[in-house]
Amino acid sequence: MNFAYSVLVHVVWFLSTYFVVLTLLMLFSKRKQLHQEPQDRALDDTIVSIVVPAYNEEETIADCINSLLAIDFERKRYEIIIVNDGSNDNTSKIAKAFEQKMQVRLLDNMPNKGKAACLNQGIRIAQGNIIACMDADTIVPKDILRKLLPYFADEKVGSVTVSVEVRHVKNFLQRIIQLEYALGLSLFLKLLTFVNCVHVTPGPFSMYRASVLRNIGGFDEKNMTEDLEIAYRIHKAHYHIENCMTTAVKTITPDTMISLYRQRRRWYVGALLTAWKHKDMMLSRKSGMFGFFIPFNFALITLGMIVFFFSVYLGVSNFANALSFYSLIGYDFFNHFNWDFDVLTLNSLLFLGLTGIAGMILVVTCGVRAVRRNSHGILVKYLGYFLLFFIYQAFWLAAYSIVATRRKIQW
Amino acid sequence: MVGSKKLIVYALIITLALFGLIYSFNAYLNQQREDVVLDRMEEILDEYQEIQALSMMTTTFGSDIACLSLENSLSLLDKTLWDTGLKIDRYREATEQFANDPFYVNQKRKFNRNEVIYLSMITEMQKHCDFNQTVILFFFQKKEECPDCDAQSFVLTDVNKEIDNEIAIFSFDADLDLPSIKTLKEYFAIDRFPCVVVDNMPYCGLKNRQQINEILCSKRPHSICSE
Repeated sequence: MNFAYSVLVHVVWFLSTYFVVLTLLMLFSKRKQLHQEPQDRALDDTIVSIVVPAYNEEETIADCINSLLAIDFERKRYEIIIVNDGSNDNTSKIAKAFEQKMQVRLLDNMPNKGKAACLNQGIRIAQGNIIACMDADTIVPKDILRKLLPYFADEKVGSVTVSVEVRHVKNFLQRIIQLEYALGLSLFLKLLTFVNCVHVTPGPFSMYRASVLRNIGGFDEKNMTEDLEIAYRIHKAHYHIENCMTTAVKTITPDTMISLYRQRRRWYVGALLTAWKHKDMMLSRKSGMFGFFIPFNFALITLGMIVFFFSVYLGVSNFANALSFYSLIGYDFFNHFNWDFDVLTLNSLLFLGLTGIAGMILVVTCGVRAVRRNSHGILVKYLGYFLLFFIYQAFWLAAYSIVATRRKIQW
Repeated sequence: MVGSKKLIVYALIITLALFGLIYSFNAYLNQQREDVVLDRMEEILDEYQEIQALSMMTTTFGSDIACLSLENSLSLLDKTLWDTGLKIDRYREATEQFANDPFYVNQKRKFNRNEVIYLSMITEMQKHCDFNQTVILFFFQKKEECPDCDAQSFVLTDVNKEIDNEIAIFSFDADLDLPSIKTLKEYFAIDRFPCVVVDNMPYCGLKNRQQINEILCSKRPHSICSE
């Protein structure tokens, strides 16, 4: 058992350190390009269709539409399509009020069809040559189209993603998620563009070349993480996914552990099923770097999770063991404890662990500086973020067990 | 993209270099651990030679001359032996990542042999000098075969910390298959582990601190008995 643990720790250390070193190298060598925007080419013939599926979004839909109407772009050059997905609240009524003023097009579904089906429905009637898909609980900045559209001047670009921020930060959990989004849905996606390995077009707001969307058959309606699945097929069609870090949309995030668990369970189960669906892309030269990045990513996640639970098990059993030892001497902790520190009793696993933690701290510190949003407190950066990282191991375990037992989960 | 491919290769080289650096440092620590153990063993052998000389003096010149200094030497040696035994085990745990390290197995054998020599000497000297140290023999096996052995060692370490000058503990690893240890096992009729022998009387099975105290106090008065 110790041998297996030791081997696993070495493999995970190697993969994670490689990831850390590569991230830091990219951060330093590409730091100027992170915030660089493509030349603002005219793109005069560009028409944008923004598709917004909505299910029971009466509290957020008005803000969402208002933010879309406030976009700094010729109004006749973008259309807003709201797809009400059989909501049983006032979503449809609110959207209808905007439709009556000729500001949006409304498709009213009855009954509920699911997000991907709604997106496809919107895509079918969309008139734009660029299609933006967004969540109804998200609001966009005024410059969103001016910032993102220039990326499409490159014919190889099939999709452009944007930084995502947390809307209404109310508690510590959301502050941690804010940092997680700043790094995961902003910086890392940007870094992945340099090796053409962006593996997700985040649901809150992503733009697609309409011809590419139609060529690949739109979103997979059976997939619960359609924004992740479509990224695989964009790569399969040999298009690039770009990321814009100079502007950001704001979205509602979970504010309790339970809602966070439900969200991540869906994401992680979706990620596993999507990777399985596209297993032909793994380690395939045809898929380029992406074909190597995905197995690397899953190997790191899966082995990291195993090492984490293995370590927890060893830690708990060692603690229980020590406690049972102390019970034999009447719990005389102070008298028995060996206060002499001998550096020679330290082993290589400890050094690997320490360098691993140091690497993670370095990535978080440099990452936060690179995204230029250094509003995260020390507690969030160095305690909350790591705490969340450990909690996610449990979420991944839950996702693996759901996939292994073929259980169905709800949205 | 071309620049990024270079970065991918550089990152791999740096990671390999870091891995090598950690392992070089670990190899250095391994060497240090081995040096410490060898030094300790050397010290023990020196002390044996000193004790042997004193032992010879008692037979030649009579016990009065040598007993006093012999008692001091034995007490010092007892502490060195117990500490060295613990150190070897801790270093072995720190080093033993992929397989049993032959260095430590070898040192453990040497150490156990030395303990048998020391036990023989102290038993012999007790005949000539008026030593009042209680001799405790501790027989153990590896964790897989004897789940309670580590716990017994923990309890004895605790006892040794408190009344180091009043006891002499000898720990014998039954897995080493040394003929001398086998003989001791047979002599004391030890049939299960862990087993503690106090003044030639075996007490097998895990004993807690309270039970060890009671055993020791039943043999002769110790400072812990007044509590």
